[in-house]
Amino acid sequence: MIRHECLELLAKRVSDQLIVTSQSGQRIEWSHLSKHEGNLLVGMMGCAIGAATGLALALPHRKVIALDSDGSVLLSLFNLATLGSLQPKNLVIYIFDNGVYSGSRISYPTATSGNADLEAMARGAGIKNAHTIRDIEEFNKQGIEALTRNELAFFVCKVEESLLHREIRRPNTDLAENKYTFVRYLERTEEKTIPFVGRG
Amino acid sequence: MKDELAKRLVQGLKEAGINFVTYLPETRLSQIVPLIRDDPEMELVAVSSEQEAVTIAVGATLGGKQAAVYMENTGIYVSSYSLLVTGKQLGVPILLVVGFLGGVPDQRNSFLYATIGNHTIPVLQGLGIEYKVLEDGEKLEIKISDAVRAANALRAPYALLFAGEFSE
Repeated sequence: MIRHECLELLAKRVSDQLIVTSQSGQRIEWSHLSKHEGNLLVGMMGCAIGAATGLALALPHRKVIALDSDGSVLLSLFNLATLGSLQPKNLVIYIFDNGVYSGSRISYPTATSGNADLEAMARGAGIKNAHTIRDIEEFNKQGIEALTRNELAFFVCKVEESLLHREIRRPNTDLAENKYTFVRYLERTEEKTIPFVGRG
Repeated sequence: MKDELAKRLVQGLKEAGINFVTYLPETRLSQIVPLIRDDPEMELVAVSSEQEAVTIAVGATLGGKQAAVYMENTGIYVSSYSLLVTGKQLGVPILLVVGFLGGVPDQRNSFLYATIGNHTIPVLQGLGIEYKVLEDGEKLEIKISDAVRAANALRAPYALLFAGEFSE
């Protein structure tokens, strides 16, 4: 299983969900597969789950999806303990775990290629609905099905390292442009004003 | 901090529109936590690290909340990465309510805190985060409101550093 085929399946199921991506090849692949205005392409590692959690708490009626990587979640493991406590029912997290720091271009192994088990860590933190997915059929069944359930879900998707994202044109959407597209989309679909946008 | 000052601080946050607060408690301002928790108009979110206190507050702000992060100034160091990439780079306003340990006006300053306090303002300046040091309750509500308005206008975090009477 490679990340891109998982994202392809996910992109077909996106309607009004809010999707927060971390910085990695999946940001490039997701922005190529999905032009959804509810995409928030966070530019750095270790911040996507937190931002997605804040969105899920602010908009509890709205499904929020976080797309993250093993290297990124290892930077922010404290998120697991907080999620185990908060249990936001409208949040689904997919960790695409290829076991390497692929972006470093030397494919140096992450801790998950050794003894670290992100599913066990999540369960230990109190996230009961944490699972490891190892093939695309399972992703299509268990992973996608979670979008229809009202329960915090945490999927560690074991993927082969793929360099497909290097063949895809990188998104040229500026971070501020992406933020305002996202916020305006929320204002329109939530029928409310996001306070900080304010008056000019 | 006297209870009356804690009440005014929380009331000031409310009047400034703050309705979502992430926090990791510390020693100087901790009386505000139960006051926020018991206020039905404010959502209080306990976190495990100031790094995620910032990212969760950023997400909530994008989702329509007016968010604040309550932390000790050591949390500025811990969260500097997320302050930079989600606060400054993405351009999202959040109010930082910071217990300012170890600064000159800290009434409980000691060798344990002084080094921490000495570097707080240079780090905020290095991050390009606007700040104000508050040492007493004079015009407290106005200063909080000004800070929130400035954060929203700047599309960036704004830090209020509480010391002096707030650290007694």
